[in-house]
Amino acid sequence: MIAIEHLSKRFKTAAGKDHLALSDINLELKSGEFVSIIGPSGCGKSTLLYMIGGFIPASEGRILIDGKPVAGPGPDRGPVFQEFALFAWKTVLQNIAYGLRLQGKSKAEAEARARVLLKMVGLERFANFYPKELSGGMKQRVAIARTLAYDPQTLLMDEPFGALDAHTRTHLQRDLLQIWEEHRKTVLFVTHSVEEAVYLSDRVIVMAAGPGRIDRIIPIELDRPRQRSELMFDRRYQEYITQIEGMIDAFETEAA
Amino acid sequence: MTANSKLIGLVPILGLVLLWGWLAASGMAPRALLPSPVDVVQRLFELLADPDFLAQIGTTLFRLVSGFLIALVLGTVLAVLSASSEVTQTAVNAFVRILAPLPKIALYPAMILILGFGHSSKIALVVIEAAFPIYLATYQGMRNVDKKLVWAARSAGASRLHCLLFVMLPAAAPSILTGARVALVISCIVVFLSEMMSSTEGLGYVLIDAARNFRTIDMFVPIILISALGLGLGAGLSALRRKLLVGYPQD
Repeated sequence: MIAIEHLSKRFKTAAGKDHLALSDINLELKSGEFVSIIGPSGCGKSTLLYMIGGFIPASEGRILIDGKPVAGPGPDRGPVFQEFALFAWKTVLQNIAYGLRLQGKSKAEAEARARVLLKMVGLERFANFYPKELSGGMKQRVAIARTLAYDPQTLLMDEPFGALDAHTRTHLQRDLLQIWEEHRKTVLFVTHSVEEAVYLSDRVIVMAAGPGRIDRIIPIELDRPRQRSELMFDRRYQEYITQIEGMIDAFETEAA
Repeated sequence: MTANSKLIGLVPILGLVLLWGWLAASGMAPRALLPSPVDVVQRLFELLADPDFLAQIGTTLFRLVSGFLIALVLGTVLAVLSASSEVTQTAVNAFVRILAPLPKIALYPAMILILGFGHSSKIALVVIEAAFPIYLATYQGMRNVDKKLVWAARSAGASRLHCLLFVMLPAAAPSILTGARVALVISCIVVFLSEMMSSTEGLGYVLIDAARNFRTIDMFVPIILISALGLGLGAGLSALRRKLLVGYPQD
């Protein structure tokens, strides 16, 4: 379980002024829950994710994971970035085996496990390719496999499908849900797409900007496993989307 | 590079040799001062058959390569130190800021006094000149590494030291090799210069010795050879670059 208590983040701007990026965030994530964060740009949703990852320190408040405060990055929380962040000098297989090798597994053992993951993301034919030889969607599949390899309890996904075309995006969303149904990891998923958030999540956190704060948390009570094609005809699904779109539109009108 | 563009690359070199030949033949410069390229090439082949002369080339090559390699290690180590923490960054940068604007050749007399007239003073001069571009390129390259690459590695369980050596350093490899390219050219210049100033062997010494004795043909041979050495080593570095950077975008 992840508990976020009175979390704030201040930045020094270039002009030397204090900027409050996140103000008094309180949130609890249950184990195995799929939670999306959505909000206008500048609301600090990625910053919140990075703080949970332990990549940037909090200014005030704390984050507890199973009761222990976060002090830095760790293999219990695996990030997946929009930019993939793959190691260019390693092959697909070596990228995925990376975390396992760090855990002290032998090369053979790590690669055998990496092959299983590669199969899971449907790229077994590309084991010896370099990341630059893959399409965006394939790169993101490799990045997800690399993170799943060291078996984190929580996935921290920062607009993972934001750079992909609509078709690839749909495929990856479906595959991610399938993996999640199977492994039930806690997922925190930052996105710009309301539809994506509603389709994937148990709860959608709607954030507002200036300063970044949680405006509302909306439980998505749609049955699982979810099929996108069926949801399209589901009135509740459409209502969730309309409701959240409306809230974000209102923030943006306010800001403009 | 296609065969065609390689041929096009030869055109300016050919033009230069033709201009030289024309100048020499026109009699504008006395023949004793500006020999014809044909005579120089002829002399070059004669000398290449002479084991004593080959030993001179060997000396220069040895100083050049060892100086360059030491500079590569030194520049990279300093950059890694600099990238490892704020304290070391401040310390290394202060050191670099003081030494970088200094004409390193000014230290050469001191080096000769300390290290003698042999290999070490030449190699030392090459090292301090060539280490700077490698340091700067490596340092910049490591600073520009996408922090998400480091975050991904740290989450997978990598220590800070592991990240520095096995994530940031390889991620900066294209920069390091660009710095090495510049450093290699500088090494060619500096080793030649150091041998011209004070040496009893090496191509620079051959040049200055020929000039002192008014053997103009012999003067041009080392010039062609240092060019050829630079060209050959540069081609080797390019081949290495292609091999090392096989997975990197572009390049």
